[in-house]
Amino acid sequence: MLEVRKLRKVYEGASRTVEAIRDVNFSVGQGELVCIVGPSGAGKTTLLKCIAGLLAPTSGSVVLEGNPVISPPPAMAVVFQEYGRSLFPWMTVHDNVALPLKQKKMPAERRQELVRNALAAVDLANVHGAYPWQLSGGMQQRVAIARAVAYEPHVLLMDEPFAAVDAQTRADLEDLIRVLWHRLRVTVLFVTHDIDESVYLGQRVLVMTHAPTVIMEDVAIDLPDERTQLETRSMARFGELRKHIYSQIQLAKQGWRPPGQ
Amino acid sequence: MAADTTNAPAKIEAGTPAWLRGLGGLAGFALLLEIAPRVGLVSPYYLPPFSAIMVALFHELMSATFWTALSDTMRAWALGLAISLIAGVVVGIIIGSSSLLRTLTYSTIEFLRPIPSVALIPLAVLLFGTKIESTLILVVYASFWPVLIQVLYGVQDVDPVARETARCYGLGTFAQIRYVIWPTMLPYLMTGVRLAAAVALILAITSEIAIDTQGLGREISQTESGGAVAIMYAYVIVTGIIGVIVNLGARALERRLLSWHPSIRLDTAGAVR
Amino acid sequence: MNGAAVLVRRVAVLLALPTALIATWWITSAGSQSFYFPPLQTILETFVKLWLSPQAVPNVVPSLLRFAVGYFAAAFLGIAIGIPVGASRHLRNTLEPLLEFLRAIPPPVLVPVLILFAGIGDEMKTLVIVFGCIWPVLLNTVAGVRALDEVLAETVRSYRIGRFARLWHFVLPGASPQIFTGLRQSLSIGIILMVVSEMFAASNGIGFALVQYQRTFAIPEMWGGIILLGLIGIVLSLIFRAVEAWLLGWYYGLRRAQRAN
Repeated sequence: MLEVRKLRKVYEGASRTVEAIRDVNFSVGQGELVCIVGPSGAGKTTLLKCIAGLLAPTSGSVVLEGNPVISPPPAMAVVFQEYGRSLFPWMTVHDNVALPLKQKKMPAERRQELVRNALAAVDLANVHGAYPWQLSGGMQQRVAIARAVAYEPHVLLMDEPFAAVDAQTRADLEDLIRVLWHRLRVTVLFVTHDIDESVYLGQRVLVMTHAPTVIMEDVAIDLPDERTQLETRSMARFGELRKHIYSQIQLAKQGWRPPGQ
Repeated sequence: MAADTTNAPAKIEAGTPAWLRGLGGLAGFALLLEIAPRVGLVSPYYLPPFSAIMVALFHELMSATFWTALSDTMRAWALGLAISLIAGVVVGIIIGSSSLLRTLTYSTIEFLRPIPSVALIPLAVLLFGTKIESTLILVVYASFWPVLIQVLYGVQDVDPVARETARCYGLGTFAQIRYVIWPTMLPYLMTGVRLAAAVALILAITSEIAIDTQGLGREISQTESGGAVAIMYAYVIVTGIIGVIVNLGARALERRLLSWHPSIRLDTAGAVR
Repeated sequence: MNGAAVLVRRVAVLLALPTALIATWWITSAGSQSFYFPPLQTILETFVKLWLSPQAVPNVVPSLLRFAVGYFAAAFLGIAIGIPVGASRHLRNTLEPLLEFLRAIPPPVLVPVLILFAGIGDEMKTLVIVFGCIWPVLLNTVAGVRALDEVLAETVRSYRIGRFARLWHFVLPGASPQIFTGLRQSLSIGIILMVVSEMFAASNGIGFALVQYQRTFAIPEMWGGIILLGLIGIVLSLIFRAVEAWLLGWYYGLRRAQRAN
């Protein structure tokens, strides 16, 4: 489904050059939920933007369903961290969700249906006519998710989407993502700095080093498919995985580099 | 325009820095003004080449007429601005401090405010002819309102708790104004000064053109009717330069005063251009 | 206090001071022998007879028409030019000093200049209004486009929103609060130019009539003209505010919500 090969991104500045990403390789299969986790400064957002086609890599490639990604592909949707700035404040919730669909040339009834279903899927069936700034932070992020869902993407990219909401809302939203993922069978790439979240959500967790970034480890999360906040997070295996990833991150923070770098 | 991530260094300036480009823009315009009349794009009678205008400007700078006209305009501008500032601040503080006065005067202010100052021109001519008082009527009427409105905003923004505390401690009216009202009001006042200064200049020149009071505006209308076109454009450029100086000066003053002001109001400064 | 009483009270407070002022003017000027300050009664009678009658149409209508054409042309051009300039950093840097200079030229100065080019007819007056009103709109459009939210811009890109839709749904609404600031300034400038251009050189128009009355010492008629200009200023301001409230309702709501946090 999605392949990242030898991705490298270097920022050329007036006085210095920063190698944000050195050599990232991984692939994501159809329908997988993969989390990316790393210390701050690990270039997670840079990576996501390269994958989304918003940023051109210096070298290496991103291949989606066999086609190279050079600009934002129609099969991908992105949910940004700053939900407040990602929604159009001059449009209602309904229009916000419908706007990307207008580009996709479909009959109006189909578009309305998609919008309705998407808003219902994120539990916002009754705020069609509200404006984003009338809603709470959690609800705004749901609108952004609904917009991505209505777009019917094959791959859903999420850039630390719950970093700016409170813990209780975050738990609800995490569960929402898993529900949507199961129902829509969409491939999800989820970037986060929250280790617990990455273990709770993912089937795999890619641990990244500090800049210049490479993938440290591809951890398989062998927790049961049915996950709940209460049960799953108190399982022993959860604790082990969490501890493992945590220690990897600590290594990364201390500047660990894989052999040969 | 892809936003840079936290890792990325600041965007490199490709080649020429901003100020150089700006200079290029100005130079390009001057070049256009030079070439267009020479190649016949515009009649050189209507628009003399830039070099001819510069020569005329140079000559004017040596002549007494120019400096008299300049000082006449600046005198009317400064005097009118000073009157409106004082009046605006005084009236603004009085009205703003009382919610009763505010509600009573609201409709009157909103009613008088949009009345164009130029409506008073015939009256000014009748009363004062071409003396400076005519200009002052126009300038003061036009620049009073921005000051008043901003001062009202400022006074309303005063923290009511601070006000109460000051009163409890027995601070007299003047002390209250000085220590409580004035600091909060200052950023708003600066915005008002900036707006009023620009408006005052416009009305001063307007008066000189329409009423024929002494000043740069009158020189422009006289050189136009007298056919001294290059000199006219020279004066036009001078008014533009003065306008730029007034705008920049007001902004610099605003920035200076706001930089050491404890509560920087980002949404008043720089909001209106 | 019931609803009706509250309404009556509010209207009373609104009208209290203006009524008192007008009454004072009426009373103090009632027996006036002063040449320049006739009784208010005479002024109002002349006003109704002259300015609100078909007699005034040949003066009032052309003025307002020239103003409308000039203002809207300036608004359209200012926005149309401002958008590309605001979007391109290079264009902005190159043009901004020049535009700031042109804008700083007091607009009435254009009247003699344009008389050279366009004589003293309708075209000159309309052109004067266009040239005077374009700068605040242009410069504020540039500022508004420049300040468009980057996250929103990336969202637009990630959903592959097309050029026209981007302009209509993102650039224009996003810059509209700033654009309206410019439009408001242009409104006052336009009125000034409408009057001054007619006072200076014209054969019809409100400004022209005003000057005629002043020169022939038709004092009550002159006062009537002053009142008419005042009313025009007020009405235009009200219309502007109504349009602004209609188009920028979302903006006020957004700011209120932001301030509440």
